[in-house]
Parts: sequence; structure tokens; C-alpha cells
Amino acid sequence: MYKSTSLFVIFLSLFVVSEAVFEDQVGKFDWRQQYVGKTLFAHFDSHSQTSKKLFLATDKNIFASFNSRTGDLFWRHVDKAGPEGAIDILLLHGQDALMVVGDGRLLRSWDTNMGGLNWEAVLDTGSFQAACFVAIQDTVKHLAVLKNAAISLHYLTNGHQKWVENLPDRDTVQYQAVYSGGEEEIYVLGVVPNSHLTIIAYSLEDGEIIKQRSVEAPWLSSVESSCVVVGQGMLMCVDPGTLALYTLPIQSLDLEVSPGFQPVLVSSQPHPARSPISEFFLQLGPHHHVLLQLNGDGYTIAPLRDFQPAFLVSFATTGEKTVAAVMTPKNETVSVQKVNNSCFFFFFKNMSQSYLKSKCMCSYSVLLSDVFPPQLYVHAFLKKDDSVGYRVLVQTQDHALTFIQQPGTHTDTGTYTQTLERTHRHWNVHTDTGTYTQTLERTHRHWNVHTDTGTYTQTLERTHRHWNACKPKNTIPTVKHGGGSIMLWGCFAAGGTGLFGIDSKSGSILWKHYLENVQPNAVFKLIVQRTTAHFPHPPQCTLLIKDKDTGLASLHVFNPIFGRKSHIALPVLPRPILQSLLLPVIDQDYAKVLLLVDDQYKVTAFPSTKNVLQQLQEMASSIFFYLVRSDQGNLSGFRLRKDLSTERIWEVVLPTDVQKIVAVNGKRPNEHVHSQGRVMGDRSVLYKYLNPNLLAVVTESTDTHPERAFVGMFLVDGVTGRIIHEAVQRKARGPVHFVHSENWVVVSSSCCKATVVVVVEATVVVVVEATVVVVVEATVVVVVEATHHIYLYRNSKYFFLKVGLPSGAILSLPKMFLDPRRPEVVTEHSREENLIPYAPEMPIRTEWFINYNQTVLRVKGIYTAPSGLESTCLVVAYGLDIYQTRVYPSKQFDVLKDDYDYVLISSVLFALFFATMISKRLAQVKLLNRAWR
Amino acid sequence: MWLQVRLSEVCLFLQAMFTLACCFSDMESGPIATSGSVQPNGDRFKIEGRAIVPGVKTQDWISSARVTVEGEEYIGFLRTDGSFVVNDVPSGSYVVEVISPGYKFEAVRVDITSKGKMRARLVNFIKTSEVIRQPYPLQLRSSGPHTYFMKRETWGWTDFLMNPMVMMMVLPLLIIVLLPKVVNTNDPEMRKEMEQSMNMLNPNPELPDVSEFMTKLFSGSKSSSSKAVGGSKYQNITCTQGPPRSFFIRLYNSFLSRGFPSSEIQVCK
Repeated sequence: MYKSTSLFVIFLSLFVVSEAVFEDQVGKFDWRQQYVGKTLFAHFDSHSQTSKKLFLATDKNIFASFNSRTGDLFWRHVDKAGPEGAIDILLLHGQDALMVVGDGRLLRSWDTNMGGLNWEAVLDTGSFQAACFVAIQDTVKHLAVLKNAAISLHYLTNGHQKWVENLPDRDTVQYQAVYSGGEEEIYVLGVVPNSHLTIIAYSLEDGEIIKQRSVEAPWLSSVESSCVVVGQGMLMCVDPGTLALYTLPIQSLDLEVSPGFQPVLVSSQPHPARSPISEFFLQLGPHHHVLLQLNGDGYTIAPLRDFQPAFLVSFATTGEKTVAAVMTPKNETVSVQKVNNSCFFFFFKNMSQSYLKSKCMCSYSVLLSDVFPPQLYVHAFLKKDDSVGYRVLVQTQDHALTFIQQPGTHTDTGTYTQTLERTHRHWNVHTDTGTYTQTLERTHRHWNVHTDTGTYTQTLERTHRHWNACKPKNTIPTVKHGGGSIMLWGCFAAGGTGLFGIDSKSGSILWKHYLENVQPNAVFKLIVQRTTAHFPHPPQCTLLIKDKDTGLASLHVFNPIFGRKSHIALPVLPRPILQSLLLPVIDQDYAKVLLLVDDQYKVTAFPSTKNVLQQLQEMASSIFFYLVRSDQGNLSGFRLRKDLSTERIWEVVLPTDVQKIVAVNGKRPNEHVHSQGRVMGDRSVLYKYLNPNLLAVVTESTDTHPERAFVGMFLVDGVTGRIIHEAVQRKARGPVHFVHSENWVVVSSSCCKATVVVVVEATVVVVVEATVVVVVEATVVVVVEATHHIYLYRNSKYFFLKVGLPSGAILSLPKMFLDPRRPEVVTEHSREENLIPYAPEMPIRTEWFINYNQTVLRVKGIYTAPSGLESTCLVVAYGLDIYQTRVYPSKQFDVLKDDYDYVLISSVLFALFFATMISKRLAQVKLLNRAWR
Repeated sequence: MWLQVRLSEVCLFLQAMFTLACCFSDMESGPIATSGSVQPNGDRFKIEGRAIVPGVKTQDWISSARVTVEGEEYIGFLRTDGSFVVNDVPSGSYVVEVISPGYKFEAVRVDITSKGKMRARLVNFIKTSEVIRQPYPLQLRSSGPHTYFMKRETWGWTDFLMNPMVMMMVLPLLIIVLLPKVVNTNDPEMRKEMEQSMNMLNPNPELPDVSEFMTKLFSGSKSSSSKAVGGSKYQNITCTQGPPRSFFIRLYNSFLSRGFPSSEIQVCK
């Protein structure tokens, strides 16, 4: 026992040495970019004048604090993904940020200074409608939360409920807004669509109904979208049907609403203890705003100024001064105009040009000059001195935030003196493996390459020579580019799809462009058809975009180094695409051939030159592929015919009432097998079962009861359809993650309150006249922490598994720990084979975290690629954040060490040189003396 | 006799009752069957606790930490004083962890019965039913910062001196330099012996100098034979029966004499 443990320790230490980071290497080879998502609410910290803080609540359920000057993240709190952690509203009061989370589930108060929680209160059930601060005598002490059935008042200091009242007639009336103007009353506005408006006034003290009124409003359907409170408690509503504003018809103001546009009102309430300002904006068209003022009598409205075109409008207040910010796309400089004592106007004219040109972000100008102007949010902020300064936060359609600040001294001249800008790209990464497998489930399509062994091995060599760092499996292939490499990143933003080229050395965006006419539910696949190795032919990547619903696909071919679109004639794809496969066949321009299989099982080749078609005809009988239909539990194999049609060879049906296919994984087409077998302790050789067409199929049971649930795994030969092995992990349930490489499959699932990893290794034991007996060994290892993802990377010698943990760490796990042949009792033979004795529990050491404290939250995928150096692998982990690093699984044997002492080695060299010179001289003198004697 | 039997019966009965009671009490506080299907209207409970990092201000670490229950099933955040509450948790058995990129915390398993009784125990993934009680509300004390990094090999005097090669070089040097000083006493006998040995050391005034010796050593096969002679001399030295103290001197002499194979040394006389 002692021996086994000592051996274990030896191995541990061995791998600790080989897979940890030195402290001085921090940030040397790695970078991390932290993202927060699309901004839903943003607030400037107005607590103190010098504060640089900016608070954001995003659609990724993140509450974050930024440095507004530099854009650095102070802290962020990541809540549970999905609707349970969704942020309904963010309100800022002094140092406290109030937040309603999960459709009115929780009320949280944050200390914005420290980034910690003040308190958290559980709210009653009911869906959240609105919330506002309630003030008495200029001090804000309460928060009113309106739900669809009740209104409750909470203390700001501890979150306790002061009172909660059920709303009357809640079955018919939709309560949508709550308003408090600093008096002793809280007004709740409800509407019966197209009938009447209900206004209820609650007493602040005990929640008693003081007044209840109903106003006939047959034109009103929603308070939220068409009404605001303006001036001294005047409710201003806009009627899109008759184009009337409150009771005043819009026509009387000589205004015209663009056809088909719902007019929107924008007003501002600077302080909860005071009533809103009497000026307000009316949006009449997509780019048309009018500033209006409610006169003192409360019945007449005067138009102050017409802004056309104007993208966005916003109000900001400091002290007694209120600023209306208007963003216009005119080709003029910024001008600021005084209107009256309390109102300033401050326009960003020429936003598209001066601000964009200063950074040369061509994509912006593309975005602006193209079909749509960006949907922007503006937050203005005033400094607390006599002059007025502006801080504006602009959100564009790609979820980037731009911060613009103008010093407040020269408001009259209005020259655009200084623009501090800092962009933060917030991406929704929709093009990763996670979504991809989901797509598989829903649309039952998958792709793979199957050629038979002969051609496969031949082309394998070729691919390895030319394809240094490319692999089309995931959406982030890296292409070698001079010293560094470029990562390609397919991204999805709100209005379109962005494709980014990222420098893997620094993480900076080298190029980007937005793709038009891409549906929001599209899935992507990035394929590298030609690398940089074929000068003068430029490298070529193809993005396959497929609509999830219709299945129709389109191709986008570009140069990955510069991001330029290529002018190659693209094939017409009229039918839905089921499968795409990249063949190792190349055309005369060294581009690999991409085959697309449509729903009639016809094959389209791209590029489809004569040369390619001829090659395809020659090797058609050895090209196989498979299709998955998870709704029917159907896995079928096809072979290509000479006329580019296909024939079905085999079919495996897994009954869908018991289990459903979760994922199917073949082998990496460019996988290089370094050893065909391993030497056993008794000097015999155990050969690996290296079938390149082997498919690993993972199923989950339809029964989700923890006692009866299971995860199944099948190994299917992709050419013959033979099931080579099947295994079942009982009491296990998803999410299942697995890796398939060489002759082994690692499947992780959660079982019995822990994460279980099953390792399956196939070996050939007897080969008698082409009869192959495959022996499969399996073992179970319990991993202490729940694993999110298991990804594999390898270098020349060792296999390592990359595991993303929920804590945000990326674990590099030696494959040795997942060897199914680990013995329970150590013998002489097992020791010679370097097998670690079996232990059911997997140790996780923080030294194995390749990203040390640079956590990557909500990991969606880990992608690895070999680099030009044999010892080095590039690793990219992405999820909420992007983390890139280099790893040296067996140390940097081909690079000098980081701490290599150049001074010592050169000084020793010089010392030796001089010592030789001196001793030579001395020897000469001695010889001379000898001769004289 | 009857009484005795009766008594023992009563004892047995009592014992049985006691064990039964124990079972029941255990049942009550024990983990309930973790049926994954949570009733939609089932009661929701809260897990409370406090995380402490000794010697670090809370504001330095709470903004990057969070509390996760069973992976990311339920998430709580730390208050400004380090305490936390995870709300809205149905009954079941959960692993509660405080996750901080800076500091290590041990995970705790918390069992909540359907009636809302709470129990905390150590996490054991192999034997999930094993119970080692922990305090509840949870008291999670950090065991220090994470060790993410390997230490670089630094150049230190001790490493250098403990190097076997260096020791092999330094120890003979020490013997050469220090031994004469150790033996250099005012003892006349010793001095006499020393003189004698010195004489023996330098019997030949025409001693070849070092460089010549080196050339000889490297050039010819003579050296190997002379070495053998030296070895035999060593044997001779040890055979002499002098006082034990002078043995070292002889050793030292012989060491020196081995360097000069051409000189004849006769110590045993």
C-alpha cells in the first residue's frame, strides 16, 4: 500500500512539474477578455463628482461595475443563467443599487462601493411589472414594487416589507406602471386594453387606497409603451390610432407620424422626491424626434424644437440643470444651444463621422452607411460644478459600448475638443459547440467525413504537412499567420452576424465584418479550405450559415488573414442542407473540397471544377458519411456514388421511447496516431483499435427519474454500421460531455450526487485472418467538482484533457489518470507500464489550473490547436469570457527556458576565453625561462 | 428466576425501543431521499452561512466571490460582512461551495428535509451517506490563498553547497587547507614528525614543477603505472604502527606524495 501511494505521489509530482504555470509567466503568453453581455440598464455613479464608476445590468444576468474612464471592469456578479437570474430592473440610489431579479423573485441591494450585497429579500410570487423609489420630504426611504397582482413597499435599509396590498380587479385590469412624485401617495396605473385606464392612489403609510379613478380610454392598449408622467403629475399618453397626444390632437401641432410607427414618449424624473420635468420628447418616426413642453396651465403643449434626423434622445439632470441629449447623424460639428435657464441642448451631430474616423473603425461606418443605423442608448451625465460636462454611453447594435466625454468648460463653442473613447465588445457567441449540439437535437443533422482507410491515411499525411493549425470542427480554427496566428470567431449580434479575426497573441481584433441577412437562429460552421502554405494562392475560409428552421444554407468565402471577401463563384443551394463534409481532396488551386448533402441526399461539391469532379468520381466508392435523426433515433450511413448521388448502406435505430441521441462524435480527421500500441509489463504489445471511421454515440434516457435514468454510449463503425461496443451508466443524467480520440472515449455525466467520468478504451486482442476481436475496457472515475466540459488537446507525446469547471477554472488533466487499466493492486507488470493504482476519486489540484485566477465563467467550449513549435499548444476557452494561453504539456523542450541566464553563460564564456589567453601567455614565459636555464 | 427473565426481557425491550428511537431521530435529521422531481408548490428554504478569510478585509475579496449550490443550480452572493444566504432552495441534498479565485474554501454538503430541517456535513463523493457533522449555519473558513504557481528554481548557497560535485571538490580542499593548521601545535613530537614528513616531501631538490608534471601525466602511460605505485605506498603507510594522532598526518603526506610519483617516500622506516 505504501509503495502504491508513493508511486502515486511520484506521478503527481511529475505532472505537477509538467503542467503548472510559473508566477513570472503571468500574462506573458495568455490573455483574457471579460465580457458582460448586452446592456439592459446603465447608470453613472452620481454619488460623488469624481466617481468613475458605471453600473450595468445585462441580458446575461450580470451586474457589473466599470471604470468609466478606461472601461476596465471593477467587479461583476454573475447570476444564474436563464430566466431565474434575469435582471428586471436596476435602480441606483446613492451608493446602493437596487435590483429585482428573476421576474420578481428576489430583491437585492448592492453596496456599489465594495461590490458586495447589502441584503437580499424574497418577494411574493407574481410577475414583475414595475418598480420605483418612493420619497418623503426629499429623502428616499422606500422602494415600491408592482407585480401583476400586488404592490409592496420595501425599506431601502434592510429590504423588509412595509406593507403589501392586493390590487383590485386584477383579473381584468393589467397594472403596468407605478409612480410617486414625492407626495404621500403612490399611484398605480392599470389599463383594461381598449376600454379604460385605472388610477389607484395608495397611502404611503399603511397601503390604504385613498383614491381610485377610472378614465375612459378606448384607444389605449398599454400604459408602459405609450404613457409617461410629465410635469406636475400629468399623465401624457400617445394614441397611435388617431395620432392624438393625450387629449390634444397631434395634428394641431403640425406634426406627422411616419406611417406604421408607434409614437414613443420620453420623459425624465430627476429625483423621486420631485415631479418630472415638464419637457419631454415625442418620437414620431424611426429618426424623428420632437421636443415638447407642457405649459404651466397643464393643458397646452408647446413644441420647442424638431429634430430630424435624430437617432436617439435622452435626458440628464444635475442639480437644477437638465440636459437633453440628441444624437443626430448630420455632417456638422457638435453644437450646444441654450434654451432657457434650466435646459441645455447638446447634440451629437456628425456622430457617424468624427467619432468613427478618429478610430478608423470601418465597420461602424459600414454599419451606418448600410441598411440600418445602430440602435443606440444614450446616458448623459453632468458634472457638479457650474459648467456642464457630458459623459455619454452609446450602445451600438453589436452590443459594444462607447464612452464619450466632453469637458464642460466650452459648452458654447461646442467644438468637439476631446473624445475619450473606449469600446467594449460584448459578444453573444452563438456559434459554438454547445449550440451546435442543440442544433443537432432539433434539426437532426450533423456532418462528418468518412473515407475509407486507404485514402484516409494517405491524405492524412498530406494534410498534416500543409495544415499546421487548422481544423474545421469547431468554429474557431486558427490559421498560421507570420509569428502569431489568427483566430476566427463567428459571432452573433442583435441585428446581424459578425465575423471577427482575432490576433491570438494579444487578443486584439484585426478585422471584422458584419454579415447581412442572417437570421437570428442561424447556425454556423467555419471551414478552412486552404491555409497560408500555398503561396501565391491566398488562404481561404468558408463560413457555412444555415437557417435553423428552414435548413437553407449559404456560403461566405473570405480570406482569413485580411478578412476580405473572396470573389469565387459560389454554388447555388436551393435545398436544405443536412450535412457538410470537408474532404482531404484538393483541387488544382490547393483548396480542399467541401461536400454539402441536401435533404434529397444529393451532393454538391464546392469548389466544383472538372478536376475535382473527376477526383470525386474516382474515389466516390470510398467516401462515406452519416446522418443523425435524433427525433426518430435514427443513425444511418451513406456512400457516395459516381454521379454524386448517395446510397444508404446501413441504419441503426435506437428506440426513442427509451433513449434519445444526444451527441455523435467521430474522430478528428487530422488526428495523428503516434503509437499503434503499448508495451505491456510482460513484453507483449497491446494494439490499439484505431478505426478512423468509428463513431461514438451518446444517448440519454427519456426517463428522468434519478433511479431509472441512464446515459448510454455506443461505438458504431461508420462504414459497416456494426455496433462494436455499448455501455450504460446507470443512475446518470446529463449534461453529457465527451471526447473521442485514438482508441478511447471519455464520457462525463452527473451521477449519484457527483460527476462521473467513464473511460472506454478499445484494443485489438486477436487478429485472425481479418477477424478483429475488439476488447473494450472501461473504468469509472469520480471527479470531485462538477465538470462542465471535457475537451482534449494533445501534443506529440502526452494526452491531456481540458476540463472547464463551474468555478471558472480550466483544468489540465493528464490522460494517465483516466487509464482504464489502472490496477487496484500494484504488480510488477503494472509498475513497468507506468500505471497509477486505481483510486475512485479524482484529485483536482489548483496547480493544474492553466488559467490560474483568470477564471472563465460559463465555459461553452475549449478549443486547442497545435502550434508551429512541437512542444506548444494553443488553448482558447470561451464562454462568457475569452481566455487564450499556450501550454507546454511536456515542458518547452524546443525552446530556451524563460529564466535562462544569458549573463551567467556569457560571462563564463568570456572568463574562459581570457583564462586561455592568459595561461597561454604564462606558458610562453615559462618555456622561455626553461630555455634560458 | 422468573423475575430475572422478565427483567432481561424488559431490558431488551427498552434497548430495542432506544435503538428504534435513535433510528427515528436519525431519520429526522438525516438526508431525505433526493428525489430530483421537485414539486412546483413545494416549500422553499434558505441556506445561510458565513465565509471568513482570516487576515483579509472583506471588501478585498467579496466582489469576486460567490456561493454556488450544487454546481450553478442556485447562486448566492456574499454580503459586505462575509455572510451569505441562498434563497429559494427546495429540500434535498446539496454541495455548497464558496468560489473565489483568490482563496480556498472547503465545500460542505447541506441536507434539507422536507420540513425544512437543515444539516451540514463534510463532502464525501465516494460514500455519499457518511455523516461527519459541520456547524450550521455554515461557518466556512478559508484555508488560505490558492497555490496556482510552481516555484522557480532559485540559486541559493545551500543548493550550491549541497551539490555532490561541489562537495567532492570542496572537502579535499578543506582537508588540504585546514589539516596543517589543526595539527600545527607546539607539541615538539608533532613538530618533529612534521619536519620529518616535510623533509620527506621534498627529498629531491630537483622536483619537477607542476606544469611539467601535468604534461607527463597526460602524455604518457607512465602515469598509470606510477599511480599503481602510489597505491601500494598507501598500503605501506597504513601498516606502520605510529600513534593514532599522527595517522592523519601520514594520510595527508601520502595524499601529497601521490601527487609526485617520481619521488620516493619511505614512511614505514
